[in-house]
Amino acid sequence: MLGALGGIYAIWLREVKRAIRDRGQFIGGLSRPLVWVLILGIGLNPYFRAEIYGDVRFVVPYTYLQFLFPAVIVLNVMYTGVQSAVSMIWDREFGFLKEVLTSPMPRSHILFGKILGGATVAFAHGCLVLLIAQFTDVSLRMTDLYLGLLLMFGLGFGLTCVGAVIANRIRSFEGFGVFSNVVILPLYFTSSSIFPLNPALSGSQTRVVYPEWLVAVIKANPVTYAVDALRGVFIGFNQFDPGIGPVVIAAIAIVGFAVALFDFSRQS
Amino acid sequence: MVGGDVSEGTAPVVEIAGLGKRYGRTLALDGIDLSIGRNEVFALLGPNGAGKTTLIHILCTLLKPDTGTARIAGFDVSRQPLKARRQLGVVFQEPSLDSRLTVQENLNFHGLVHRVPFRLRRRRITEMLELVELTEWRHALVRTLSAGMKRRVEIARALIHDAAVVILDEPTVGLDAQSRERIWAYLGKLRRERELTLIVTTHYIDEVDSCDRVCIVDHGKILALDTPEALRARYGVEQVRITPRDLATRTGIMEQNPNAIAEASGDIVLPGATHGVVDRLLGGFGTGISNISIERPSLESVFLTLTGREIRDQAAERPTLARPNARTGEPVN
Ligand SMILES: Nc1ncnc2c1ncn2[C@@H]1O[C@H](COP(=O)(O)OP(=O)(O)O)[C@@H](O)[C@H]1O
Ligand SMILES: [Mg+2]
Repeated sequence: MLGALGGIYAIWLREVKRAIRDRGQFIGGLSRPLVWVLILGIGLNPYFRAEIYGDVRFVVPYTYLQFLFPAVIVLNVMYTGVQSAVSMIWDREFGFLKEVLTSPMPRSHILFGKILGGATVAFAHGCLVLLIAQFTDVSLRMTDLYLGLLLMFGLGFGLTCVGAVIANRIRSFEGFGVFSNVVILPLYFTSSSIFPLNPALSGSQTRVVYPEWLVAVIKANPVTYAVDALRGVFIGFNQFDPGIGPVVIAAIAIVGFAVALFDFSRQS
Repeated sequence: MVGGDVSEGTAPVVEIAGLGKRYGRTLALDGIDLSIGRNEVFALLGPNGAGKTTLIHILCTLLKPDTGTARIAGFDVSRQPLKARRQLGVVFQEPSLDSRLTVQENLNFHGLVHRVPFRLRRRRITEMLELVELTEWRHALVRTLSAGMKRRVEIARALIHDAAVVILDEPTVGLDAQSRERIWAYLGKLRRERELTLIVTTHYIDEVDSCDRVCIVDHGKILALDTPEALRARYGVEQVRITPRDLATRTGIMEQNPNAIAEASGDIVLPGATHGVVDRLLGGFGTGISNISIERPSLESVFLTLTGREIRDQAAERPTLARPNARTGEPVN
């Protein structure tokens, strides 16, 4: 039993070490939240809460910065998780995978160690976003931080699995750029991350609605519920039943791992 | 099986029966039967594309055979892959180190995934780095090492755990003569110090002379399998080596004997030695010849007899024709 843990630990440690040595990834993990929160957030902040005839009735009782903050955590976790997953392709390409596959470790342990490593790095990048919480008027002291961290880790695990599944299927894989354009950004933008589902900011605008297809896409996107869960924890705002988010995150992790394991066992 | 039994009557540690593998239209392995004994140094010799790597990949469970079975220390590679792998140490033909980790980290990783306990792991890492003379490079990032050094790290790595069988797929390919010699020296030393079976593939004929048995493969088939001596005796052709005194004699001999090979040293080598040939040469060019001798058969001549081709030509030509490996700049074989 201890021996099995040793192998998983080795694979996990390798992921973490590689991430620590990868300056570029770290800089990306730091600059992404800065750009999203400070530039997009501050830039759009004034347009978010409309004051009509002196009568301010908010659909979202938060500033745009606060609204955006939990979504940027998800964005950072998603980028890093998928990046780790993509490194599985490089392991295959550069031969290192053979070294692991000829060890006596079962395939499930190998994949678990790999994904756990990716999840750890993704989680750490999520925590980088927490560092700028105070600039967004989100008070971490007021929140259930442990629950937030747990959700972030679960999400990191799930998104790394999803990344692994997709990476394995995109055969004409040309670097990470394709990924970010084809997978990460669409998922991010359709997760009610940068705008609330209800576009009516105040009472007098209640008739403004988004087209049905957009709402349908957002509701079908599982990331929507992850963003919602983190919003619930960090700013106390939910657009859906607060119970849904954690369940969806757990489901992404479990189903994602199962599919990733199926692919991995079949291919190697 | 084509001649040559497992030595000393011990139970074979590798047993292969009827192994076949096809890639699309290429029949990479065509019914291989083979058994390799404990503590044997077994060479798998064949030109590029002979099927050596395919066979190795099946042995280390990376590839499933279409037909036949293979057992490592009694464990079937298809049915008990984990147990079979526990008995194996492998050096792959293509690089497989993590170049962003240090030498020590790569070795430690291997020890951990092979469940080598802490103390033994630490001791083995030190010992194996000593064996391959890389102790000072212990904490260097792998990507800063030369190709030959990386190869040595990979050899050290395959020996960190207690493998019954260590497989090396072309451990010397793409390396300079000095590095190649060193690698064989390490293997020789290892063999004296530790009980294990070594399976080494190569397409360099000069390397297999020191092995216990040589298996010559081509087009996925075993052509011959025996000790180097027995192969020489059975398939080898003795050759006459002539050292001409002057250029005229040299060209004269070459013209008379279309199958003669002119060596760079100025010597002429004539395959198929009989006394008639020697008499004829001495009669025709007597005073022009400074030395003439009959040489024992080379393994090259064994290969030539068996395949009708010279392995040397291919070994020399392939690397320039092959697509260079994008990462290492080494030719892919
Ligand atoms: N993945 C593959 N797909 C298709 N053909 C392959 C593949 N791997 C090897 N082959 C072919 O199988 C034959 C044996 O290859 P290989 O086992 O690599 O030979 P060797 O290691 O002796 O050079 C060659 O003809 C090679 O082109
Ligand atoms: Mg090969």
